[in-house]
This record gives sequence, structure tokens and C-alpha cells, in this order.
Amino acid sequence: MNLFRAILLLIIFITPLRANTIYNLIKIPNLKIYEINTKNKLKYLYAISSFRLGVQKNIVCLSSNKKDLEKKYKTIYKSLSRYSYDYLKKINLKYIVLCENLSISGINTAGIPDNIMKTLILDIKFNEDYFERVIHHEVFHIVNDQHKKLFNESEWIKFNSSEFKYAKCSICTEKLGLETYKKTNGFFTEYSKSTASEDMAEVYSHIIFLNTKEINQIRKLDSILDNKISYIENKIKKIDTSFNF
Amino acid sequence: MIKKIKASTSEKIILIFLVTLFILTLGTYFVIKNECLFVKNFDPKNINFKNPKNIAILNVPCGNVVIELYPKVSPNGVKRFITLIQSNAYDDVAFHRVIKNRLVQAGDLEFGKKDFLDYGKIGTGKSGLGTIKSEIENEFNYVKGSVGLARTFKNDTEDSQFFIILQDEPLFEGEYTPVGKVIYGVELLNKIKYQRHSEYILRPDFISTFRMLN
Repeated sequence: MNLFRAILLLIIFITPLRANTIYNLIKIPNLKIYEINTKNKLKYLYAISSFRLGVQKNIVCLSSNKKDLEKKYKTIYKSLSRYSYDYLKKINLKYIVLCENLSISGINTAGIPDNIMKTLILDIKFNEDYFERVIHHEVFHIVNDQHKKLFNESEWIKFNSSEFKYAKCSICTEKLGLETYKKTNGFFTEYSKSTASEDMAEVYSHIIFLNTKEINQIRKLDSILDNKISYIENKIKKIDTSFNF
Repeated sequence: MIKKIKASTSEKIILIFLVTLFILTLGTYFVIKNECLFVKNFDPKNINFKNPKNIAILNVPCGNVVIELYPKVSPNGVKRFITLIQSNAYDDVAFHRVIKNRLVQAGDLEFGKKDFLDYGKIGTGKSGLGTIKSEIENEFNYVKGSVGLARTFKNDTEDSQFFIILQDEPLFEGEYTPVGKVIYGVELLNKIKYQRHSEYILRPDFISTFRMLN
């Protein structure tokens, strides 16, 4: 026991000092403040060099190019400004990390939400066509993770036709398309068909991204999506009664 | 009869040089050893305070650090802090976590006391009074000298440990419960013992006393 303690102490005292406030707060290295004086108190951080995360270091993101960062920050800021401080507090989101070519185990991804660390990592190089909507998609994952009991997947599955089955996980399928269907048939995108939680996130992101007229039109034409939209709206209202879609 | 030999000019110069060198060496030795020589110690008796009720005096190896507490910002946090100060609980407690020019942290009443220092557990000790809820709603600028309550990774785990920041830390707002700010003597905290390769300190400096002014 004493030997173990001695070794532990030795490790502590010879480990190089990582005295970085951001690292201490969210456990992501190589970040710098981009903007912290925002109305809804979101803190925007960016990668000054690449970083690896996770137990197996399988999450990788590269440093952000200044030009891309300036351009994408405006879009991200505008998108996230629609969320109030109160709502963000309820869903436990505070830090937005901006970096490039984000991937998990070699698979590119638009964002990685972490409600425990109050952090959303966003890939600023993600497909321009869907980037703005995808931000809200990732926000929903934070909402879902923070309020797991509220979003019941068994209830959700019942909205679909009885023959339909989701894949076992979001990356165990080829259904990765993010383009919004012209003919919806219960799903906004191909990616909606991957898992129930991705479907919820796609519904949420479309409610936020599309205007009321477009949403109302979809509701009229697609009864399944009408039910799904109502479900998401009701649950979000339970989290924050003042939330405006 | 022994003939007196007069010292030559060069011998006299060498002698003067050696004496000067000796004095300088001795002087430098004491200057280096006394790390507190160039920092001002404040006597709270000579200062007029607007709210003397909210003034706490933290006595560290180099002198007095005068802290103004903010009960309006964090009522419960300050209440806990005052309770512990008034019971002299912080006396002889180590500054167990020190990052040069960034922060000093102390207040582990279980494993940080001078006579019961436990290097294996320091930083994890409790006060015995239980944890309190984080008070992070009110606006507070974490500027140099700000005093906050330390917590574990989770909110609502504040107990007795506190930190004082030695540089502005804007990201601390909304993360840590603020309890006050150093109004005199923040430079004394730069003299607290630190280690280059670790935030945790072997043979740390200790709080001598921590008292409320009134």
C-alpha cells in the first residue's frame, strides 16, 4: 500500500503541469477563447492545434483555420443565438468548441455533444449545405442526453408504420443522407431512418430551421411527421415553457 | 624588532574588494532567503473599511491578505466561509494546490492540516459540515484576487476548500461560487510555494491564521 502511494505521488509530482483553465473545465486540450461575451452566455472556444479525446483517443479534431473560423462563427453564432440563456442552462450547454475535420473512430461527424461537460464540439468544415440545420440537430442530442426520461423511444417508434424498423445504431447503416425529402413519408431525411434518437434530432432541427409556413405545410401533408413534430414541441415545452419554435 | 610593513595600494584595493564581496554575498544570501522582503505587509488596523463586517484577514507566510466578502452575491457560500473562519478551522491548513501566477488553493480541513498532512489524499478532504449548493447565478467578474469556493467535478459539492486567482479568469463566472475578493495584499500570494511540474505541492506553505476583522 505504501509502495503504491509512493508511486502515485511520484507520478503526480513528475507529471508535466497542464495548468490550462479551459482544460480544467471541459477536459479538452489545445483550446483558446474565441468569444465569451455573448447574450446567452455561450462560450465559444477554438482549437489552436489538433486534439484527441476519449478513453481510446478515438475522437480527433484538427486546428481551426482563421479564415474558415471567422466565416463559420457568424453562422454558428446566429443559429445558437435563438436559444435563451435559461434554455441553455436547462439543457446544460455552455461551451461551443470549433475545430475542423471532426471524427470518431475515423468516421467524420458534424458534432459531438457532451451534456456532462456542457460542451458541443462542432466541425466547421462540415458540409455547407446542411451545416446550419445540423447545429440544431446536435443541440437536440444535448437536450435528449440531459432529459433522457422525457424522450421515450418506444413511444416514438409507434408513430412510424408497423413495418418500419430503425437500424441498431446511427453508424451501422448506409442511411446517412441529410437532404430534406420532397416527399417525406414520415421522415424528414434519409438519416432520420437510422435510429429513433437521430430521427428525433432531425425533426427538432427541421422545426427550428424551417419557417412556420413550411412546417405547417408538412404537417398538413404528412400525418406521421405531424405527430412527431407535436411530440417534440410538447417535450421541449416541458423543459422550457417559454421556448419559441 | 619586527619591522612594520606598509600595505601597498594594490593590496589595499584587493582587501577592500574582498570585504565588499563578503558583505554583498552575505547581503544577497539574506535577501534571497527572505522571499517576503520586497512585498508590502498590510496592517488592517491602519485601513478604514466601508463594510468592516465583511472583511476577513488571511495571514500567510509573508503577511496579511485582506479579503472583502460578498454575502449579497453568494449568501450561503459566504455564510459557510465565515462559519469556518470564525471557528479557526483554516489555521495551519496547507496551500495544497498552487499554480504559479494563476491560483492558490487551500482549505482541506481533513487532509491538509499541518500535523495531519496526507499527501495521498490532500484535496479530497471534507469539513464535516456537508456540502452546499453552488451559487453561480449572480454576475461576478473573476478578476485577479477573486476568491471562490472549490468544488469537485459536479456542482453543489462546495464545502471548505477555496481558491484565490492571481490572474483574470473570465471562464470561472458561472462555474464557481464566488465569495469575495482580495482588496489588499494579493501580491503576497505570489510568494506561496509552488512546484514547476505539479499543481500539488510537496512541503507546502500553510495558512497561519484566518480571522474575521470584527
